[in-house]
Amino acid sequence: MVLSRTQRLLRAFAAWAVVMLFVFPIYYWVTLSIKLDREIFSIPPKVFSFETSAKSYEEVFGISLGFEEGLAVLPGGGDFYMTPRLWDSIVIAVCSTVLAIVIATLAAYALSRMRFRGQHHFVFWILSTRMMPPVAVAIPMFFIYRDFGLLDTYQGVILIHALMNMPLAVLLLKSFFDDIPKEIDEAALIDGASRFLIFRKLVLPMAVGGIAATAVLCFIFSWTEFLFVLTLTQTGLKTVPVVSSTFVTSTGTAWGNMAALGTAAILPAFVFILLVQKNLVRGLTLGSVKQ
Amino acid sequence: MRESDRKLYLASITDRYVRGEVSRRRFLRAAGKLGLGAGALGLSTTMPFGFRRGNFNSALAADIVPDAEMMAWLKDVAKPFAGQTIRLATESTPPSNAINEHLKPFFEEATGINVEIEVLPLEQVLQKLTLDVASGLGTYDLYYLDQSWMASFSGDVIDPREKYAANSALAMPNYNFDDFLGPLVDGISMYEDIMVGVPYDIPIFIYMYRKDIYDELGLKVATTLDEFLANAQAIQKAKGPAIYGTTGQMKSGHYSLECDWTAWLWGHGGSIFGPDRKFSGNDDAGLAAMDYWVKLKENMPPGVTSWTWDGQGQSVGQGIAGQVLSWGEFFPSWDNPDASQVSGLMEAAIPPAPKALRTVKETGFGEIPGVGHQGGSSLAVSKYSKSEDAAWLFAQWATSADTQVFITTLGGGTGPTRTSVYDDARVKANAKHGIPGTTRHLDVVRETIDNYMGSEPDLPEWAELSNDTIPVELGRFFAGEYDSPKAAMDSIAEKVDKIVSG
Amino acid sequence: MVTRALRAPRFMVSDHPLPWLLPLIVILVVFAVYPLFYNIYLSFHEFAPRKREIVPVGFDNWAQLFADPRMWSAFYVTLFYTGVCLTIQLVLGMAIALLIDSDDPGFGFLRGLLTLTLVIPPAITGMMFLLMQDAQFGLITWMLQSLGILTQATPILATPSLALWGVILADVWQWTPFMVLIFVAGLRSLPRDPFESAMIDGANSWQIFRRITLPMMGKVIAIAVLIRGIDLFRMFDYVFVMTSGGPGTSTYTLSLYAWQQTFSFIKWGYGATLSLFALIVILVAANLFVAIFKVRW
Repeated sequence: MVLSRTQRLLRAFAAWAVVMLFVFPIYYWVTLSIKLDREIFSIPPKVFSFETSAKSYEEVFGISLGFEEGLAVLPGGGDFYMTPRLWDSIVIAVCSTVLAIVIATLAAYALSRMRFRGQHHFVFWILSTRMMPPVAVAIPMFFIYRDFGLLDTYQGVILIHALMNMPLAVLLLKSFFDDIPKEIDEAALIDGASRFLIFRKLVLPMAVGGIAATAVLCFIFSWTEFLFVLTLTQTGLKTVPVVSSTFVTSTGTAWGNMAALGTAAILPAFVFILLVQKNLVRGLTLGSVKQ
Repeated sequence: MRESDRKLYLASITDRYVRGEVSRRRFLRAAGKLGLGAGALGLSTTMPFGFRRGNFNSALAADIVPDAEMMAWLKDVAKPFAGQTIRLATESTPPSNAINEHLKPFFEEATGINVEIEVLPLEQVLQKLTLDVASGLGTYDLYYLDQSWMASFSGDVIDPREKYAANSALAMPNYNFDDFLGPLVDGISMYEDIMVGVPYDIPIFIYMYRKDIYDELGLKVATTLDEFLANAQAIQKAKGPAIYGTTGQMKSGHYSLECDWTAWLWGHGGSIFGPDRKFSGNDDAGLAAMDYWVKLKENMPPGVTSWTWDGQGQSVGQGIAGQVLSWGEFFPSWDNPDASQVSGLMEAAIPPAPKALRTVKETGFGEIPGVGHQGGSSLAVSKYSKSEDAAWLFAQWATSADTQVFITTLGGGTGPTRTSVYDDARVKANAKHGIPGTTRHLDVVRETIDNYMGSEPDLPEWAELSNDTIPVELGRFFAGEYDSPKAAMDSIAEKVDKIVSG
Repeated sequence: MVTRALRAPRFMVSDHPLPWLLPLIVILVVFAVYPLFYNIYLSFHEFAPRKREIVPVGFDNWAQLFADPRMWSAFYVTLFYTGVCLTIQLVLGMAIALLIDSDDPGFGFLRGLLTLTLVIPPAITGMMFLLMQDAQFGLITWMLQSLGILTQATPILATPSLALWGVILADVWQWTPFMVLIFVAGLRSLPRDPFESAMIDGANSWQIFRRITLPMMGKVIAIAVLIRGIDLFRMFDYVFVMTSGGPGTSTYTLSLYAWQQTFSFIKWGYGATLSLFALIVILVAANLFVAIFKVRW
């Protein structure tokens, strides 16, 4: 649509205003991580000017920036504690995303290109696996995992996160594949190419943007998942959402520490989004090869 | 730690590191604790994110010197168990955090036993333990048991007294069961005739007030509940709405609301259950307590109905409440000038005297009426543990007088469970105003435990009643969904009796 | 080329989808079908805490379910919550998607910023909004009070008529960008031709949106509604953290109730029954949705 210069400016202004409204709570959260504890509760709330301190970060990540004095008992386990948890989170989110995407692209391609009886019901069945409340999946999974030695392992959490993302991934990828004209496949088939070759050399490269978008969502859902990690891990590994809850202690909530961990946890995920962002936009526009 | 000891310790840990017996991380950590920066060891210790790890908490080296005799004994008896790993799931409480952060390495170095501690919020600990006992998995060698779970887990643990008597080789010398405060053993460790665990931590309701406000208004420390109310009203009248008379933990559907309720209920001569094992919160004493509570609430910030202990503690710490009857655990954090606006201004006192008090016999399910509501916990060795002996050593060490002294002086607000710890010179030395981790409230805590402690009933349904039935209905009452306290209490009675009778 | 392909349909038919679908089927059977049957089994049993084992109880759990006023209250709360959130997120999401679907400089960055809300674990989002809506120290409370919209006497999360809206605010904040993300992707994959011809015909923006964009976006919207609707119906983290279901039972959702029965009270059987009930409701609703809006995969 062609907009005048004023309209474009207005639009840009509106877009920035809306996005800032959404970003504001995050900004406020980040400020908590660099405030002194007593300033977190000032009335009226201090939003833009306050005493800063990196103490929360020192406590959460066991680093010294010169703010922490003396010794104190920290909630949640204190020094050297949270950095490995960020690593756990990254490993789990990345691996489960890769696994989910690999399985889901294969399935989505078949569902997009081939027709079989009961296909509609099959797709609905895939979707229905997401409908079970997580509470109900956690208990049986605990017992299976116990028997297969998957409790408290990366593999176990990666598998369950991949499963959790499967319906979303398959549905989204299928819709992206559907946007790529079938004629391309058919032409190649006539030229004697195998299905797998077509999938790998023709369809996958064209769907790269869609796959990236799906991967972002899978990554995010794994990154933020709480109940499965809580139930299926013990002392071996933990992800950020679960360790965050350890800042809720019997003597109060360590808001500064929780905000510091939360802030640090936004970064890797945001970097991941930025990495695929370019691909995402380009891919989505190319989505349906409408030359 | 004496200088020669320090060198000896350093030499031994370095030796073990070189032989590959300890991980690099643990070695550096131990070295750090000895006041030896990583730089001095010629090791570059870069952390992820490119920060160089500093000499974090090195002050510890000077402060924590475990009892040499005990450590030597541990080192000796633990030889067969070196290399074993024991696990504990615990609530994020002061003793668990102190052990996990600062004290655990001493035990690990001495015994060679690895200790893994999983710190979680209370309700998630319950979930973990239940799955563990239901599956007979034995993942956790030690259980952190809240007093309200005693009945549920009494069959899954090893009675520590029996364990102590049965294997004298593993019985810590001078461990002294009699050193634990008597009422605590009854209140948080015993279920019928079984000692479920060793008393580990004791948060308990004490009376805490703003000395400056009391002085300004000429108020006296309340000795009765009516005076407590009158003080709240006086503060509210003179200072409100900037400072409220008192505050509370009254979030609907949360355990904390039930805690507040029991203090007022018991204080008015009521009880949760009568001797007929029926809910008795709707009798005359129970209703008198509700009337009192409603009047008291008029002097609380409007937000109390959305607060658990978290918001309650914060409201005092931010200086908007003049007095409170609540967990003594809060006290040290209020003296921390970084976190609180009332550093040095708070004083502690024993709870106001009850108007009447029932005896244990006049209640059902062994509840012990008392205004000083307790929320203690004990440390138990799991029956399903595969490293039972190593776990038992840890339990003894963690609850030994020496370790409790360090837990207490490290701050965080624990209530020690041993008489000797309250008397310890190192603990008394921290009884100063305006420092984080003060211990100046502990005499009051001890007196409250000895004389005014209230304990909840022991019955397997208690988790459901105390976390759901009672606080949800009380929450509805305070949200105005019941016409009268009587209607609310009758409704609770009906629901509770139905659950208890099955 | 097209005609030749049509003449050679055997290429399509001869391809068997099974090898492609097999990994998916295996993982779904192990991780989704087994738990389903396990829950059906559990719903006719109950965990006996004393014996530490699961004992059969027949239809007791199901009988209890339908007679349980707490369940029905949770059910209505869940339905209301799902409906309100879905509507707001759909409308707001579409509006924002149309607003920021532009190639002007800076808009790519804006889209990236917007996805930030999704990266925050819902449990932490709950804590954020709990703090911001705190009756005494909260930023949102303070702003609303300064504007005179709220009084001291009505703390958001402790007033029965407001508490659920407090939770909805958190959900809308976190998940509207999810809708935006999907809608932007959808908008960008639309062919240009219909828009160009409509503009040549002189249609205004609203007409274009109503007659062209919406119908062509139908499938994307359907997927977004289904996915989000399912997740909303299972919502747990926010109420757990922010209100514990209170005041009273005014924010108790089915998921929270099932969680509590399962983990706090160790009534695995009744918890499983509640979960199955939720599953059945979602299944029926999703099927109706698919049928009414003629979603074909």
